[in-house]
Amino acid sequence: MTIHATGLSVVRSGHTILHPTDVEIRPGTRVGLVGASGSGKSTLGHALIDILRAQGQSVSHVPQSPDEALDPLRSMAFHWREAERALNMAPNPARQETLFTALRIEGGDVRKRPWGWSRGMQQRFVIAMALIGTPDLLVMDEPTSALDPVVAADTMDLLDTYLADRATALLLVTHDLGLAARRVTRLMVMEAGQVVEDAPTTQLLSAPETVAARSLCAHRNWLELPC
Amino acid sequence: MIRFLASLTFRAAVVLSGAALATFALLWHAPGDPALAIAMARYDALATTDVIAIVRAEAGLDVGFWPAFLAWVGPLLVGDFGQSSVTGHDVLPEVMTALSYTMPLALAGLLIGLAISLPLAIIATRRPRGWLDRFAVAIASIGAAIPAYWLGLLLILLFAVHLGWLPAMGARTSAHIVLPALTLGLGVAASLTRILRSGILEARDQPFLPAFTRRGVAAGGIERDHVAPHAAIPVITVFGLELAFLLEGAVMVEVIFARPGLGSFLVNAIEARDFPKVQAVVVLAAILFVTVNLLIDLLYRTLDPRIGERDA
Amino acid sequence: MLNVDGISVRGGTRLRLQDVSFTLARGQTLAVVGESGAGKSTLIDAILGLVPCHSGHVTWDAAPVRDCRPALVMQEPRSAFNPRMSLRRSVMEPLVAKRITPDQQHLDQLCHGLEIPPDLLDRRPSEVSIGQAQRVGILRALIAAPPLVLFDEPLSALDAVTQKHSARLIAQMQRAQGFAALIVTHDLGYAAAFADHIAVLRAGRVEELSTAPAFVDAPASAYGRRLRDAAFALGALEHVA
Repeated sequence: MTIHATGLSVVRSGHTILHPTDVEIRPGTRVGLVGASGSGKSTLGHALIDILRAQGQSVSHVPQSPDEALDPLRSMAFHWREAERALNMAPNPARQETLFTALRIEGGDVRKRPWGWSRGMQQRFVIAMALIGTPDLLVMDEPTSALDPVVAADTMDLLDTYLADRATALLLVTHDLGLAARRVTRLMVMEAGQVVEDAPTTQLLSAPETVAARSLCAHRNWLELPC
Repeated sequence: MIRFLASLTFRAAVVLSGAALATFALLWHAPGDPALAIAMARYDALATTDVIAIVRAEAGLDVGFWPAFLAWVGPLLVGDFGQSSVTGHDVLPEVMTALSYTMPLALAGLLIGLAISLPLAIIATRRPRGWLDRFAVAIASIGAAIPAYWLGLLLILLFAVHLGWLPAMGARTSAHIVLPALTLGLGVAASLTRILRSGILEARDQPFLPAFTRRGVAAGGIERDHVAPHAAIPVITVFGLELAFLLEGAVMVEVIFARPGLGSFLVNAIEARDFPKVQAVVVLAAILFVTVNLLIDLLYRTLDPRIGERDA
Repeated sequence: MLNVDGISVRGGTRLRLQDVSFTLARGQTLAVVGESGAGKSTLIDAILGLVPCHSGHVTWDAAPVRDCRPALVMQEPRSAFNPRMSLRRSVMEPLVAKRITPDQQHLDQLCHGLEIPPDLLDRRPSEVSIGQAQRVGILRALIAAPPLVLFDEPLSALDAVTQKHSARLIAQMQRAQGFAALIVTHDLGYAAAFADHIAVLRAGRVEELSTAPAFVDAPASAYGRRLRDAAFALGALEHVA
């Protein structure tokens, strides 16, 4: 199902931190939401989740770090069961096994609490949990910044493979255009609480139109910095 | 786990022997002659110099500090608290009788404290900094500042003198426990409300909670499964301290309401310089403390197993 | 010259660092990369003498490192300052500690080089952006003209654009001041672009020590290759000629 949200906006203590924005994401697509820190990209991501949820659409969220997704006092099994219950789903060991295999967490002891697992495994567990209800949209917040590069790259590859032939769309929220360019086919550039540019990845990289997009493109690569 | 239990036992032993030694030393070096006091208590005007000397020898007060200490501690290790130096009766049964009055009072105080503070803290934290919250904090602060003897007198004036609903002095009927327990419970409620409030607020502020909401977990479920356990941890931590407050408060309240119990037992024993009684009370209190804190440590580990991991 | 000679550091029952050796000359930059827990922070602590080395030794020009008064730039820019003090007071602290009278010209020069507007220093840490706070952190590190500066994940709190901006300023300051820079980072792109040498640390050991271009072309160790490939997969390295 196509994701469609109109008139998203956020005002906090008198300041408009997200100007009215419409978002449309087609099934199975990968979209990057990029911008400098403070540009409002996380705000838009969260507002999108909240409004879609209110509309009864199926959307799930993977926060930046597993510390922001898991209760250290509860076992992994508890988290899983709770997520199933939140979706009004009966426990389904087959589904759990499929997701665990896809994200390579088969070996994890679900009776343990989060800190009994490695951080990479925790993050993949959070992603697996987000996929339980085969959502229409998966929103990921800076998925690589809390992990070691090797682990982060593996995780992104596993997710890519899993999503390849599925209808779940991905919204990748990140400050790192280099990362987004590797992973998505469409880029939305944010600046000062507004989406200022929205174009296919190749087009945006080759011909950025706005100042914000040009700045992000120029600083995309470490080895080719503008003088 | 074995290492943990061993270290707990060691800590308990250190605390208990420290308490025993400190009490004994304090009483030994207290001004005034215990033998004289005992002789006066027993024989009144007949307490001549000879009599005092006999009393001194009988009570084992003529052998110097360390022998006297060892003579007391030795039997203590097998549960013999010795005999009253005034009456000559065994100390332990008398202490137990006193305890049988004090324990129900302390427990009732604790229950009243919980019954008041838990709902108050939950209501207050619905809207932090709202008027209900400010009101609860104000009440708790005032409550913590009011001394038990003043509150006790106030309650006596209101319920016993003015309204005549409840008895004030003694412990003849079960209704006699109401006013002392209320006095104690209000004090406990004041401090518990503040602890519970900050515990709940801190638990609600944890970074992972928004993710649970976005995952679609119902608000009630989040409160029950993710806020309450985290809020319980600091509360349990201070429970050991709360016990000290309870015992101290109970002793005070017993004196105000002329209730038999540990309070009057201790006051009488000190006035009569009946050292074995005083020492028995202190040692029993120390044992109680060590046991409760040990239980708290174990409970703490069940609630938050990370603590055990860190030690290992 | 910094000489790290076969140091091992114990932490509990295991070795946090095991036989780590390298040298670092003035004007040179060494990037230390590796996963968390590999011993990167321990290495900084060992160089600063904050943890004892159980074997080996660290020297600067054949004297204890402490004597050259090295500077440290930390990861969290804002929390590196006292929130109640103006940034100027925090910046001047190393000079006050060493009883040096501040040289206004030197300060102006550094501020200019780090693109710090003069009035910024009169603010408090909470009143500046993270990027600005990080530049002031670098200013504080450089104010006493140290010959050796250690950077602990200097860019990881910044966004992609600010990162590159700060990285360039650090490199410019290094050319002007000529200090030796040891940079602990998990960002291989940064290491490849700005370091002369890259040391790969894993489980307390140096897996490999290569020049930056050689490392990007062909890492010598298997783990180095995995790190490089991950950097490619995450878009941190791209278009390498």
